[in-house]
Amino acid sequence: MWDGLVIGGGLAGLIAGIRALERGKKILIVSEGVGSLAFAGGVLDFGRVRELRRLEKHPYAYVGEMAERAFSYFLQLNPAYTGTWGRRGSVLTPLGTLRETELLPRRLDASPLFKANKIVVAVPGGLKDFFPEIVKANLQKEFPSGNVRLKKLSVEEFADWRAAGKSIPGTVYAEFWGTERGNTALKRHICEIAGEADSEAIVFPGLPAIGCPEVDEVLAGISLPVVGMTSFPPSAIGLALYESLTRRVKALGGELLIGVGVERVEVESARARRAIVRSKGKETALTAETFVLATGGFLGRGLVATPDDVRETVFGLPLHVPPLRGGKDFLGEQPYARAGIEVDRHLRPCDPATGEVLLENVFAAGRILAHWDPWLEHCGGGVSLSSGLLAGELL
Amino acid sequence: MYTQTQWGEEGGPGPKPAAEPGGDDSHRQECGDPAGLDACVKCGICTAHCPVARAYAPFPGPKNLGPDAERLRLEGVALDPGCLAYCTNCKTCEVVCPSGVRITDMILRARRQQGSAQAESAKSRLRIRDHVLGRAEYLGRLGTVWPEFTNTVLATKLTRRLLQKALGISAEAPLPKYKKRFRLEKGSAAELTSESGQNGGKSVEGTGSSSMGRGAAGDPSAGNGSASKQVVYFPGCFVNYNDEATGLAVIRVLEHNGFEVIVPGFHCCGVPLTANGRFREAEGNARRNLALMEPYLERGIPIITSCTSCGLALKEDYPRIRVPAAKRIGAQTYDLFEFLWLLHERGELKEDFLEVRVPLAYHAPCHLKAQGIGTPSLRILRLIPGVKAEELDAGCCGLSGSFGFKAEKYELSLQIGHALFQRVRQGMREGKFKAVITECGGCQVQIAQGSGARSLHPVWILAQAYGLGGGT
Repeated sequence: MWDGLVIGGGLAGLIAGIRALERGKKILIVSEGVGSLAFAGGVLDFGRVRELRRLEKHPYAYVGEMAERAFSYFLQLNPAYTGTWGRRGSVLTPLGTLRETELLPRRLDASPLFKANKIVVAVPGGLKDFFPEIVKANLQKEFPSGNVRLKKLSVEEFADWRAAGKSIPGTVYAEFWGTERGNTALKRHICEIAGEADSEAIVFPGLPAIGCPEVDEVLAGISLPVVGMTSFPPSAIGLALYESLTRRVKALGGELLIGVGVERVEVESARARRAIVRSKGKETALTAETFVLATGGFLGRGLVATPDDVRETVFGLPLHVPPLRGGKDFLGEQPYARAGIEVDRHLRPCDPATGEVLLENVFAAGRILAHWDPWLEHCGGGVSLSSGLLAGELL
Repeated sequence: MYTQTQWGEEGGPGPKPAAEPGGDDSHRQECGDPAGLDACVKCGICTAHCPVARAYAPFPGPKNLGPDAERLRLEGVALDPGCLAYCTNCKTCEVVCPSGVRITDMILRARRQQGSAQAESAKSRLRIRDHVLGRAEYLGRLGTVWPEFTNTVLATKLTRRLLQKALGISAEAPLPKYKKRFRLEKGSAAELTSESGQNGGKSVEGTGSSSMGRGAAGDPSAGNGSASKQVVYFPGCFVNYNDEATGLAVIRVLEHNGFEVIVPGFHCCGVPLTANGRFREAEGNARRNLALMEPYLERGIPIITSCTSCGLALKEDYPRIRVPAAKRIGAQTYDLFEFLWLLHERGELKEDFLEVRVPLAYHAPCHLKAQGIGTPSLRILRLIPGVKAEELDAGCCGLSGSFGFKAEKYELSLQIGHALFQRVRQGMREGKFKAVITECGGCQVQIAQGSGARSLHPVWILAQAYGLGGGT
């Protein structure tokens, strides 16, 4: 018997689990795979919280002051991050444009570039999904008064990758910079750039940003600012964020069951009792007092769309489903994004038609909630963190 | 759930019809979506987590070898078969996949289709090596005839150099030492013999059965409505030939909980054969073992494993064999600690624990993670007063059964395990823990090789807490 069973191992589920563990609860987190954090670059958007809070049914409207608490809670949980409530910072996209966000790994903070007139972009040899010329052109557009140049770095340790005709994934590069040899190579390359006359700031793709003290130490000894970059999925920084959160779960005595989806949950008189997971060979029944439903949206597959309808995959809960098609502007509003579960102030799933609470001891959190759009409102991290934290308080 | 549509056929007590050895089109025809090809969204998470792809540049990784190449294979285009042999079958890709794609299954099926033994190891000496390394059981039987002699011979540099030259078995690799053959302790009803059941018959002759728990037989409260408190123990080759003591500890712990432990003369589970491309023989072993299990399975008696790879084979591979017993094997197989946790949840686990004051580090074997049961040994050990256990969480050890014994893969296997070794060494040095525990015998051997730290099966901590003889 668990105090709380968290279904879903993404940002919302992990934060819910960590908070509940801190409160002394016995927690098991069950997850189909390793969550969606590696699909994102590791920066967490909060968006215009005060405006969004005024929208009826928006998650920020019912999590209330939990949004601000979640912001500082996360900063205290993960010291690699920086941010100031109510202010925005900037990071570089994988293509070298600027993008605003609220919580970001210090390593990605692009603000030093605003003060630099001479920007050097390091080009680690063979780095996968990195396009130096495009990055250079975009940086030049973002900082028209400055001068941007590329600096190729040849890293001999990857000779066998080149021989195999392969580019080197960002995850492999990030791991390498943290090793002893990688550390030495990094120091040598960065010192070389710093020693050149036309260098005032270095943009360095593929650097680890979370939980790599070896790299932090090298960069602390450099007089120039070194700015990392977000990357395409699978993102090394997103993965590192995931790992730092799962380590925290384990360090607090929590357990993760990864690689199995929840098949169904047995419900008696509006209370969830047992989750049935499909272990190898047989079903395993997991009994808990309370449950968190944080299985994600369409990408995380908490929601599944078929030609006929949209389904919630664990409980089969009734959903708020706007007309799914309709957005004519590809990058504009797409109604499907607001599909999801409606909840009461305690995150308990409600019937969208009647408002009746359907499950007394289940708290929904994260992308599966209805009435918000992370792409348009830029609040994906904030909603997941604040609803996850609230769920962790309620468990 | 969405994944149900792909998983429906597999796993679970209702087995999917097995593929024919050699050629395998049956699976493809059964499913509209061949093994979840459409479910793969190409996110690359599997390759980012693959222990081999991270360390070894020429390996294309699970995404390319699995779902990507599968589309080509469906069109009759085969890739370089040598690549496939670098998959260690650790199943990390399947565990981390957010879309439930059976990636390792695809890779194994491809190996099977290519008649892989010949294709992967083009040189005949390597074919002989695959033949040898796949047969942990026969080697074990030979080795345990006179273990001291075998160990002495195997320890000499000359032998190892010859093995490397002649067979491509690395001279540095940590071949486990042979011990006295696993047998039940004095008072057991019968000696173990492995010869029984060779013909696939239902014979349970040569079955050993522990005596101590016999008094408790007939307790109707135990498992699955069976009429007695009996369990069958599947020791596996590592216990049988390299670590007899752990097998006896498992039995003592089960007996302490009032179970009579039955140990038929099982054969190797087949995992080493599969890993070395010997699919047909692996299936033969599965059939022989299932025949030995059948009478017990019919009576609802649980099968207990203490080796996580044997456990995974029994739960995942055996249900696919086309014999009646296969219908029950998945549902009735338990990892030792999975079983003990169920007892705990029912209030039937003896919890008369003595204090065990030892800080421990726990390494979760890949094939435990793949079972989808979490880490029950940590849960149980944390019930014991005094036990502090932290999870190392440093990935695969790199050995993967016989993978790390192969001359061309030995260095790679150490490189894969590097993060784990570093963590172990650092923790030991700083005094954060005094011993490493892990269920898998292969992981134990590799951790010792890579970090110098001794590691042992978690059952030893439990045995110590029960006052049944300690391990640390």
